[in-house]
Amino acid sequence: MNALDIRAAAVTGRLLPVSLGLPRGSLIGLVGPNGAGKSTLLQVAAGILPASGQVVWQGRDLAKIPFIERARYAAWVPHGAHFEFGFSVRSVVSQGRYAHGDDEKGVDEALARLDLTALADRSVNHLSDGERARVLLARALVTEAPLQLWDEPLAALDPRHGLEVLRLARTLAAAGATVLFSLHDLRVAHGLDHVVVLRERALRAFGTPADILTPELLLDVFAVRAHTVPGLTLDLP
Amino acid sequence: MILPARLVRWALPVLLVLLAVLAVAALMSGDMTLSPARTWAGLCGEDSLASTIIWQIRMPRLIVGMLVGAALSSAGLVMQAFFRNNLANPGLLGVSGGGAAGAVVTIAAGWASASLWFLPLGAIVGALAASAAVIVLARRGASTERLLLAGVALNALLGAVTSYVLTQYTGLYERNTQILFWLMGGVEDRTWEHVQIALPIIVAAAVLWPLGRQMDLLSLGVPEAQSLGVDTRRLRRHLLVLSTVLTALATAVAGAVGFVGLIVPHILRLLVGPEHRRLVPLTLVGGAAFVLGCDLVGRAAGGLRLGIVTSLVGGPFFLWLLRKLP
Repeated sequence: MNALDIRAAAVTGRLLPVSLGLPRGSLIGLVGPNGAGKSTLLQVAAGILPASGQVVWQGRDLAKIPFIERARYAAWVPHGAHFEFGFSVRSVVSQGRYAHGDDEKGVDEALARLDLTALADRSVNHLSDGERARVLLARALVTEAPLQLWDEPLAALDPRHGLEVLRLARTLAAAGATVLFSLHDLRVAHGLDHVVVLRERALRAFGTPADILTPELLLDVFAVRAHTVPGLTLDLP
Repeated sequence: MILPARLVRWALPVLLVLLAVLAVAALMSGDMTLSPARTWAGLCGEDSLASTIIWQIRMPRLIVGMLVGAALSSAGLVMQAFFRNNLANPGLLGVSGGGAAGAVVTIAAGWASASLWFLPLGAIVGALAASAAVIVLARRGASTERLLLAGVALNALLGAVTSYVLTQYTGLYERNTQILFWLMGGVEDRTWEHVQIALPIIVAAAVLWPLGRQMDLLSLGVPEAQSLGVDTRRLRRHLLVLSTVLTALATAVAGAVGFVGLIVPHILRLLVGPEHRRLVPLTLVGGAAFVLGCDLVGRAAGGLRLGIVTSLVGGPFFLWLLRKLP
């Protein structure tokens, strides 16, 4: 059974009917030019944007699952977030435990894992964009949700934290979770288990990077030429 | 937040003590100042004059004042979370004005004298209509500008309705005085009937009490709140009804008292941080204490009306807040 099945889901003006099945325990990249519908697809998959068609989580129709239960199954990380009120970092991360009775379980570990322990009592409004992105990831982590849907989690991160988040995603996938995240760096996408390619609000391709991210597709979708020449490669020490 | 974490848990006990002190002061002071001993004797019914003053005049005023303060400040807190906007409050959004206009129309039409319950009913209908209008006006995301403009438009409209009603009854002095009372807001001459009308505020506060955590999540926006497990449709409906009922009941017994819903949640948020689980009880108690304090100040200043005192404090505070906006 797939972790996520999207069946002919469409959002008027934002997404043409998309059908997609994502296997459990995999790390999946969502790529496409600006405006291709990446954020929309993530929100549809998370069940927070009404769409026609059907979204199915582990065989269960999403529409029939109560919100509190949904939050235990899927975590959504928005791309950038506005906080009207200056909650502390710890308090925002704890919000991920709301659906579990606010038990604070795993909050300290998540803070440590995303390098936020020193910022725990700081207001989220006094953080840089990259730090705030890590707070939102930590909140998604404490939900222990097997389906993780992240909207451009790497966009604001420095190289070190970007690599750590990728490693975290890989660990989650190895433990059986399905991580679907949007990104723009095609070199990173090339190292993932699967890739979903969107173009002009429609699904263009889905499969392993080796099969999908061909020079022809990259030229067609992104209007860029792909070269496989050695350049600068970064890794965690 | 300003208070160190270890002091935050003392905020509620301190506010309760403050409220108790203000309540005692309110019972002691008035046209005839009562000594602490005489106040006690009056409370116990051992001194008939003091007893009459306390139980017929000061106690109803005290209770109405506390309920109005608790209602308006918590309604402000709810609106701020609902609209995700620091400046939202019953007065600014026109909900208080709607309640007052409803009350004024009820008085002018002569229904208010038919039954004691028609006046609060009129206030509730007016407040509900104003709430509905705000929701429609601010439907596509409640940005600060949109809310402010919606409030300005609505308040102007309601002001026109009220002025029209006033001009229609220029000959009827008594009705006009009654109407002016609602427009300026106050708690003097309140009776036990007013206490009765305001009592459902306690029920609304009890319903609001456990919603604090969900208000935290709602303040992040509907999609985020949903993804974290909140049934936002249900919650928003609850909060809208609660804030409207709280505002309407307060307006029905005290007229349009301004700025309470803005000042109290703001000061408390500055002191103890933005978490609503903590803010809901503090706002209820703090709002009661604030209105009681303003009423005492007004009395000490020679009979300034409550609505005037809260506006004198609130106006400058609001301007100061606007300056801090990005």
